[in-house]
Amino acid sequence: MVNYSRSVDTVFAALADATRRGILIRLGQRGESPVTALAKPFQISLPAISRHLRVLERARLIERRRVGRTHLIRARSGPLKRAQSWLASCAAAWDYQFDALEEFLRNDKDSAPGKEHRK
Amino acid sequence: MKSRIKITGNCLQITRTLDAPQERVFAAWAEPAKLQRWTGCKDATDVVCESDFREGGSFTTKMHIGGHANCDCVFSGVYQEIRKPSKIVYNVNLGPASTRVTVELFAEGAQTRMVLTQEDLPSEIIRFVEQGTLESFDKLDAALAAQGTTA
Repeated sequence: MVNYSRSVDTVFAALADATRRGILIRLGQRGESPVTALAKPFQISLPAISRHLRVLERARLIERRRVGRTHLIRARSGPLKRAQSWLASCAAAWDYQFDALEEFLRNDKDSAPGKEHRK
Repeated sequence: MKSRIKITGNCLQITRTLDAPQERVFAAWAEPAKLQRWTGCKDATDVVCESDFREGGSFTTKMHIGGHANCDCVFSGVYQEIRKPSKIVYNVNLGPASTRVTVELFAEGAQTRMVLTQEDLPSEIIRFVEQGTLESFDKLDAALAAQGTTA
C-alpha cells in the first residue's frame, strides 16, 4: 500500500502539468513518435520538452528507444498493470479482513443487532 | 481464499457469504467499536475507527502497520450512501488516490451474502492516458481538484 501510494504520487505529479498531459494525448493519437514530432504543437524549446519527457519517464508513463540519433517515445501500459496488481493485493487484503469479520461475528453472537457502543 | 474475486478494468468485486444475519453484518460495518475489531490488513495492530455514520459523514481509521512497512497509518473517507441494512458506499483516500467502495448485503436466510466493489481512480487515470482523450483529462482535472491535489 505504501509503495503503491508512492508510485501513484509520481504518476499524479507527472499528470499535474498541461504540457505533459498534452504530450500523452498526442502519443495516444499518434502512437510511437520521435521527440521532435511531439514537441511541434507546443510553443516551447526542445530542452523544455526533454525535461517533461524525463518526468513522464520517471512516472513510467512513457518509454523511449533510440533508432540511430532519433529518440522514439511511446506510452506505456505498465501503470495500468500495476493498478491491476494493486487491485489483486486489495482482494487478498479484503479476504484476510473478511476472515476476521467472520471470526468477529462468531464471537459477537450474544450482542444484540444494531446495539450502539457509546463512549 | 474463501472469497470469490472478480477484477475487471479498474474494478474489484469480492463476494463472501457470512454465517450471520444481514443486520448483524451491517452493524459490524456501521459501528466503529465493532468495525475496529476486524478491519485492518495482516500486519495491522492498534486499529482505532472513528466515524460519523451518516451520508456525508466522515470516518477515520488509524492503525499501526508492522512488518516491512512499520508505520502508523491514517485513512480517512466520507460515507456517500447508507441504506440500512443493505448498502454502504464510501470514498476513502489512499495518499493522492481516492477509492470508492460499495458494500452490499443480501439476506439469505440466516446467512448474508456480502458483495464488496472497489473502484479505483488511479487505473482510470491510466486508461485516460492510454486512450489519450482530452475529455478524460478534463474529468481527471475535476477529480484532482476535488481532492485539492491539483497543481
